[in-house]
Amino acid sequence: MIVLTSDSTSDIAQRSDDTDRLWVRVDQLKQATGWQLKPEGVCLGEICVPLFEPEREAWIADADDWVWFCYSAFADKIGQQHVRDGDVWSLGSVPEVRRMGLESGLAPDFEMTDRNGDTVRLSDLRGRKVVLFTWASW
Amino acid sequence: MNLPVWQELYESIGPDRFELISVAEDSQGEAAAGKWFDKAKPTFRCIVDRTHRISSLFGWVNVPSGAWIDEEGRIVRSNEGVFPDETTIKFGLGKVRLGNDAFAHATRDWIERGPESDFVWSAEELAAHLKPVDDDALLAEPTFKLALHFESAGDSERALRHFDAAQHLAPDNWNYHRQGWTHKGTVYAALQVLKKSAYLRKNTDKNYYDPMELPGENHRRFTEPEWFWTPAINGLKRLLRRAPSTT
Repeated sequence: MIVLTSDSTSDIAQRSDDTDRLWVRVDQLKQATGWQLKPEGVCLGEICVPLFEPEREAWIADADDWVWFCYSAFADKIGQQHVRDGDVWSLGSVPEVRRMGLESGLAPDFEMTDRNGDTVRLSDLRGRKVVLFTWASW
Repeated sequence: MNLPVWQELYESIGPDRFELISVAEDSQGEAAAGKWFDKAKPTFRCIVDRTHRISSLFGWVNVPSGAWIDEEGRIVRSNEGVFPDETTIKFGLGKVRLGNDAFAHATRDWIERGPESDFVWSAEELAAHLKPVDDDALLAEPTFKLALHFESAGDSERALRHFDAAQHLAPDNWNYHRQGWTHKGTVYAALQVLKKSAYLRKNTDKNYYDPMELPGENHRRFTEPEWFWTPAINGLKRLLRRAPSTT
């Protein structure tokens, strides 16, 4: 099963007894989605979404000798859009990340590799003015 | 592609005064964008972004687009149509002209004067430009990524299906249209741009690029093509207007 996010493509395990929903093995959750299960809830950086008992019971399950988290149900809770075709799931941006970042005027951070093979991380450029622009060959 | 003009601007302002980052939004990666970078020999940072990640993060819907980001990581402006000079794009018997040097002048002014620059947006202007997007546009983003994934995997049928879905969900996102149409060929894509532009120009108040509201800007709502015969037609029209009336 493949999970696409805005900055990653992960080929991860699929729960055998429920392929209609996006179940992610807990040990692969951060790699595939960026989120982690913590005692205080499900966390992405400084954002933590509490899990209430009924959700915890329904969305965390044992199967195939692993512990799984029902990510598609969690995505619905936080308003993250997702779409699938076969065994490929594609996740949209996280609304709370947009609200805390772009919509409040903060430049969204990113880390990418430039053509010289160097890492470009926007937050590393604090203290300098940055002009960023896109173009395309098409 | 304006990369040589950006390089001139970068050198003339001074690489020690700011960071310039150029991002090619090209699903075909180096194969499509590499030659343009190689030809321009830029000394600023160059990134090839096969999944349009930067446009998604900043909410941009066409290329070129750009942002000014201050020393504290805050967006100062975030614009579409950031041409650094007038750009002529030729195709067959026609051409389109876009942009002028208004954005380059404004960029220089902001780098030199910082918050004192007249071109810094107010908090209200910034909020208006960074407004939330609707659910359909949010769904279009992962749909477009799905299309790019299948394009990369060589599954053209599924790629086209998802490009089409993304275009319907976010009809104002030219990146989704233009990248999707390019899957069928660059000539097809160019014709589709002209066709959609002509329709929107006649039937809506939409823009291909939003105006940047800069002094001297030559904003054109859409890329109106100038054909090989356009100068002759215009000359004829001028002559007819000058001809004395027979009635």
